[in-house]
Parts: sequence; structure tokens; C-alpha cells
Amino acid sequence: MNTGRRSFLQGFGNAALLAGLVGAGVLRPTRALAVDFNRSAFDSKNLADALRLIGATAAEASRDIVLKAPEIAENGSAVPIEVISQIPGTTRLSVLVDKNPFPLALQFNFAPGAAARFQAKLKMAESSRLRIVALAGGKHYTVFREVKVTVGGCGE
Amino acid sequence: MPDPIKIRATVKGDEGEVRVLLPHPMESGQRRDAAGQLIPAHYITSVILSLNGKPVIEGALGTAVSANPLFAFQLAGVKAGDRLGVAWVDNKGQRGSAEGSFTAG
Repeated sequence: MNTGRRSFLQGFGNAALLAGLVGAGVLRPTRALAVDFNRSAFDSKNLADALRLIGATAAEASRDIVLKAPEIAENGSAVPIEVISQIPGTTRLSVLVDKNPFPLALQFNFAPGAAARFQAKLKMAESSRLRIVALAGGKHYTVFREVKVTVGGCGE
Repeated sequence: MPDPIKIRATVKGDEGEVRVLLPHPMESGQRRDAAGQLIPAHYITSVILSLNGKPVIEGALGTAVSANPLFAFQLAGVKAGDRLGVAWVDNKGQRGSAEGSFTAG
């Protein structure tokens, strides 16, 4: 699915209407997000399908995405990662773990003003390639790293 | 009831640093209990962060995000006193939300 910038911004427009409810605890995030993320990509059990469903099959390798992850992760149930996209106009970052039962782990959309970077912790079932896809100006860019896992984290 | 969401939001210059901790089991659906039965998946699917009521970061999560998700972000054009909101929903329709304020760091 090729989610253009226009629909992404409209997604934020809709979200803005509901934002006042956040503090009141009334907001259902899914309402704001449903138009935007392709949830079926999270149900994909193989990498090729997940990449296809997020529209990243033809992602171009980039040196402008920084991916910090341990070379060896002792605990596969909490592998810390940091991702920084230096590609101007990055609106979305996606995280995939090639060998996980469901490879797509996480996606973030960034509005203007939010830096296209984050830190998170992931579960990794086994040693695997860790893959980041950045969306900028309607194009996908990618970077990957191998992470060795000594104790797998999906059965945890 | 789960533990409350923790928010740490600090400002350096006009750059805001945000850390949010969302207490949640994030059950992957792959784990078995003592009797060998699969524990059903129970995980946050969506999270949204807002700055002064305006959404700035939206996240979609799968089961591979660790239990009690801890995320860090950076926001530009932030000043002390600005409000940061966080809201999540999980695959069972349960929700959580919280609000904090940026402090000079």
C-alpha cells in the first residue's frame, strides 16, 4: 500500500479533532489511526508479505538512517534499539525482525515538529536481521543490521 | 487495574525529550502457561502522543514490542509547561491515557 503524504496529513487532521479528548481518557486512538496504518501487515507471518503490505518491497538502501542495536542481545525479550532518520521529510519509520513469527514489529508516524527518531525495546525470537524502513516524500528507504540473540524472547 | 502510565518530558533549549512507559503485559500469543495452554495474545495496537492537544506521533504496535513498552522521542519547538498527552488502545479494546507537562531539564 502506498500511503501518500496527503492521506497521512488527513489522518492527522482527523486526529486533531479528537485530541482534546486525550486528557479526558475518552480518546480511542484507533479512530485516528485506522485510516492510516495497514493492520494486516502486522498479521503477516513472512517478511515478503509484511514488506509488500507496508509498500516497502522496492525500498532503497540508505546510509542516512541510523540504527543502533546490540550486536549480541543476551535477552531476546527486550532488545533495545534506537532509530534516527536523517532523510529530510521522513514521516514514517517501520521496524521489522525478519525471523520473528510476525516480522512487522512497530511503526511510527511523525508530524512536522516531531523528529523522525525513537527508542524502543523489541522481542526477538532468535538471531535475525533487524530491518528499518523509512518513508519520506512517498519513497521508501531501508537499512538493516544482524542481531545475535542468545536467549529468544517470543516464548518469554 | 494496570499501573499508571509514566511520562518524563524535559526541555533543553527548544528541544523536548519525551520518555513514556506504558504498563502492559504485551502477551505475544506464543507463550504457554504452566498447563501447556497457549496464553492468548494481549497487546497494545495503537499509541498516540499529542503536544498541547495536537497529535504529533502515532504508533502502530505488533506483538514484538516488549512488555511494559518504553519509548523515547524528540519534539522541536517545545517550551516548559507545554502539555504532553499519551493514549493507547489494545487488541481487547482496553484503553489508557495520561497527560504530563514539560519541565526544564
